[in-house]
Amino acid sequence: CMALPAVAGDGSDSMRVGDLQYGNGLDPRGWTPLMAPGDEGMSWLHPGQLRTPSGALYPYPYGPPTRPLGGGDWTYWGLLELGYIHVNGDRNAEFFRQYTDWKNGAALGLFALGFDNRKTGGYVEFRGSRLSADDQYYRLRAGRYGSYKIEAFYRDIPHTVSTSAYPVWNGVGSTDLTLPSGLTPGDSTIAAVQQASRDAPRRSIGLTRTREGLSLEGELYRHWIGYASVTNEERNGTRLWGGPMFFSFAFPSTGSPYGGNGGVLETVRPIDFTTTDVNLGLRNVGKLWRFNAVYTGSFFRDHKDHLNYQNPFLITNVVGLPNAGLVTDGQFSLEPDNDYHNLRLELSRELKWHGELSLAAAYGTMRQNDTLLPPVNCTGTLGFAGGPFQQLIPCADWNTTAALSESSAHARIDTGLFDAKLSFHPSSAFGWHADLRYYKEDNKTRYLAYNPLTGQYGYISENGSQGSVVPGEVGIFDNGYYSTSNVQIANIPFGYDDTLFELGVDWNASRDNSFNLVYTFDHNEPKHRERKRLDEQRLKLSWVSKSLGDATLRASIEYADRTGGHYDYDPYEAYYSASLPGYVPADGIAPTAFTVDAMRKYDMSDRKESKARVILLYPLGESSTVSATFYGSRDQYDAQVGRQNTRTTGFTGEWDWQPSPRTNASVYVGAESTHLKFANVADNEAIVGAAGSEDPSLGGPLYPLENYWHDLDNERDYNAGVNFSHDFGRVRLDLGWNYTQSLSKLDYAYASTAALTHPDAAALTPDDAFPNNHYRSSTFSASLGFPVTRSVGVRLFGQYQSGSFLDWHYLGFDDTLVYDHRIYTDEGPQLHYSVTVVGVMLNVKL
Amino acid sequence: PGGARAQQQASPGTASSSGGSLSQDDIARMLPSTDMGANAARNADPHLAPVNDSPATPFDAAPIPHNPLAPDAQAIGAKTCVACHSLENVQASHSLHVASFRAGAANTGPQAACESCHGPGSEHAKNPTAPGSIIAFTHGSATTPQTQQEVCLGCHAGGARQHWIGSVHQERGLSCSDCHNPMARLSPEGVLAKPSINEVCATCHKDIMAKFNRRSHMPLPEGQMSCVDCHNPHGTLTRPLLKTDTVNETCYTCHAEKRGPFLFEHAPVRESCLNCHDPHGSNQQTLLVAPLPMLCQQCHTMTRHPNDLQVPTNLGNGSTPDERLMGRACLTCHTNIHGSNNPSGSRFHK
Repeated sequence: CMALPAVAGDGSDSMRVGDLQYGNGLDPRGWTPLMAPGDEGMSWLHPGQLRTPSGALYPYPYGPPTRPLGGGDWTYWGLLELGYIHVNGDRNAEFFRQYTDWKNGAALGLFALGFDNRKTGGYVEFRGSRLSADDQYYRLRAGRYGSYKIEAFYRDIPHTVSTSAYPVWNGVGSTDLTLPSGLTPGDSTIAAVQQASRDAPRRSIGLTRTREGLSLEGELYRHWIGYASVTNEERNGTRLWGGPMFFSFAFPSTGSPYGGNGGVLETVRPIDFTTTDVNLGLRNVGKLWRFNAVYTGSFFRDHKDHLNYQNPFLITNVVGLPNAGLVTDGQFSLEPDNDYHNLRLELSRELKWHGELSLAAAYGTMRQNDTLLPPVNCTGTLGFAGGPFQQLIPCADWNTTAALSESSAHARIDTGLFDAKLSFHPSSAFGWHADLRYYKEDNKTRYLAYNPLTGQYGYISENGSQGSVVPGEVGIFDNGYYSTSNVQIANIPFGYDDTLFELGVDWNASRDNSFNLVYTFDHNEPKHRERKRLDEQRLKLSWVSKSLGDATLRASIEYADRTGGHYDYDPYEAYYSASLPGYVPADGIAPTAFTVDAMRKYDMSDRKESKARVILLYPLGESSTVSATFYGSRDQYDAQVGRQNTRTTGFTGEWDWQPSPRTNASVYVGAESTHLKFANVADNEAIVGAAGSEDPSLGGPLYPLENYWHDLDNERDYNAGVNFSHDFGRVRLDLGWNYTQSLSKLDYAYASTAALTHPDAAALTPDDAFPNNHYRSSTFSASLGFPVTRSVGVRLFGQYQSGSFLDWHYLGFDDTLVYDHRIYTDEGPQLHYSVTVVGVMLNVKL
Repeated sequence: PGGARAQQQASPGTASSSGGSLSQDDIARMLPSTDMGANAARNADPHLAPVNDSPATPFDAAPIPHNPLAPDAQAIGAKTCVACHSLENVQASHSLHVASFRAGAANTGPQAACESCHGPGSEHAKNPTAPGSIIAFTHGSATTPQTQQEVCLGCHAGGARQHWIGSVHQERGLSCSDCHNPMARLSPEGVLAKPSINEVCATCHKDIMAKFNRRSHMPLPEGQMSCVDCHNPHGTLTRPLLKTDTVNETCYTCHAEKRGPFLFEHAPVRESCLNCHDPHGSNQQTLLVAPLPMLCQQCHTMTRHPNDLQVPTNLGNGSTPDERLMGRACLTCHTNIHGSNNPSGSRFHK
């Protein structure tokens, strides 16, 4: 047996999620300025540098030079890199700014300071860097080797979502978006909306994550080690959002200055989150037993839990009756506060034959009980009345919480995990393991959409707009006017039980060749889904070889087959009003088919999967390494309608060269091709509500085969890069070029033009393909470092980044963001950009 | 246990024996006990006589592992090793790992620092070039990966490595020193074999690293996060080495707002974020695995608007612009796609 007293200095960091990396766009490593190897190398006994067991070269050591601190046992080292950065060109390009807040002005490249006590083993280390108030980190670690460790950090992480957004609303970033003067809620002309969009100032959409944390870890008593950590994050900013006031596509403009019927709005939502995470851990490592207990608590608070927005468009009904009122307002519930607790206990015991029994059990619960908003925030009366259409929506019956069956969400999901693993290696040549894993997700949320004020079931769809446009489609069910309406009346508590059994054998055929075969049986029982049972069998064979000269080869092939129980294309009937007493099929015809029965959702369908991967590390001579990866996967889904297959094939190759501590270089290339194919069938809307529309069969009257169609998405990705650095003594030169290119091609095929919304459009698109999307980015970087004295240096650096982009989702948006009853906010990423970053840094070894 | 005695790992034929060279027991006698700060407490107590023996770290108690390839080797003490490996000694002193042993050595003269990892050195000293005479952790070493792992786990078992045995990296014969190098300070934290976690993982997983160059990605190339933020390479309860019970719980640790639960849930969202997102990078917006609305149309064939074939004429520059295709497509209306807490939100448009 091998376990011996644990060392408290041995961190649990890689067990806890997040905050293991501190860097930024200027120096992703957060360490680069300290990477200046001395000439002496690693050893007097051999030239060059040693390699990892797999064959990769270790970098030459560059331990910072330490100096005595006073006369005592403490030594210290430190580095300060301070300077100025200037950004030229398209500095607002979205892809340039995505996660780095580049700014003109002073910047702290790196401030690093370390103290060590060679007698007591005490240490203190600090690292910090600052590009701007929204892009900075400060990290402190201190402790005494083997006794305790304290870690603390503060960081700001920027995330730019769009730099070309033109929201027309006032109050962007708040919970209330109001229309500017010149627009009348629910009653504006298209021309007025277009003008407002043209007048809207350009804005950036994005957010900043401000995180701070503190953690303690140390030996509590004998071999009992504990840790506690708290992190807090404030997330502030905006994201692009929506605003549905029913369809626009279905109602081409009538020529009226007010446009068509529905309304589609791209709005902006606020982000104002606080998340506090607590981690507590206790472990004991003995000669035979290992015990580990971990508690994780996470507490999310949303300080802006709703979004109200005004709708500029005139919403009118399709039967030509006067609407009772203007649909002026829409509303979203944003994410509710939530609490999460998870407790995990793990126990392992060493057994003979190099064996181990490992048990783990966890219980988790996520809960929220936010106060619910009323079903709508409208006032007055919406809808329309005339003849057979008595479809008035008295807002007063629905814009109050008295219209709810429950005033708060009472939402809760409990999770449970049990894992038992047994492994033995009775000889160095042979070993086996067995693993049984059970996981359960139990959704306890139960909500009935019932309005005690009116005795009606259901809800008000799309802020009352759907009911203001289409007869019978308010979203309500009752035993009167709405008795034929089939709407969702309760939440669906999705969840699942998953049982996984794994059996694996290891065989070390020789010193240089080992094989590993793993069989996995995964039995899943989804709740309220199309299938009650999913079974996947998986076989994976791996081969590790060191028999090919100095190379290390790791290869694996994998095959999986997923099947399951009966597929029910509509498992949701119980949650719809057709299941309620008093439901009357319109004209005696059963409800329209929920969907086509041939549909197979890709998380529920039968699937055959094969994968292969080869990873090669090949030491080339004394000072260079060639590495390569080949990989591919094939997924075949048994679906006439739905996802049918996916394919991925890829390669990467790299050459690293490290002839001396002063020089290193690398070249890499990569290519990947992916393919996705799925099928769908447009329904024959002409017969919706008429005889035959209850028929779900593919090839039936509602889903005729001539409406069948396919989409094929093909993507190709290419990567390449060259990096070189050499220390000439009087100057250190670093050069780099990194390139990435992605091409996406979307083709389609259809049985007949009836698959299209506008069949006559087929003639206009003879290629049956979308314009190719692409994303290209090329970055040259250069840096010259001049030592001035032994401890002072100057570094000049520059970076030129250019890129081009096309995404057909945004085609036309640079001309206008308003299309009849649609208004968009985001113009999309820049099609072309080029930016230059130059800077000078003063580098002082402390 | 209480006092720090250099402990030879209990395995046949390795009990300390008297010999010409320094024996386990000789070294053990030279070591002070590790008091975990007890002396400090004692000295702070005016009622007790002050003690002034210098503090030591628990590393004085570090075990000397058994080297199966040199079963009769005896420990000879760090000073003997340093006589030849002087530069290694200098470089290693910059690394947190070795500095901790040196802190012990500072108090106790010759002791087991080097041999705590490399095993007893007498055979190696006699015949430095004999393969296996010392436990080595680098390319071409005669020491098996299993032995190398066991040496490190001698102190680093449990905790983050509770599930190392049977983990994919253990099964693939990786050695700790494939990712770590305690003999030099190459990284700010974690005594890594490369300057950053991401570079270490990229040694083998370049294809994954390349995906982070795509249009939408998490801020890994920008140095704001690392592979180990989500994965624990030392083994976990999940095949992809996730740190939490499930994929979703890993995502929730940064995207806590998606956790809910919501009044109205979207089945594939609650099931797995990976149904729609590729966390390693994507050519679509927001890490999506397929373009909108096609992503949704793989499942949504429901009667009326979801199931029409979208064609380029429905784009913003086309003859019949269609909100189901333009901009953020389906999400412009079904915006609360991760779940809605609104009583009218069963279709995620509230």
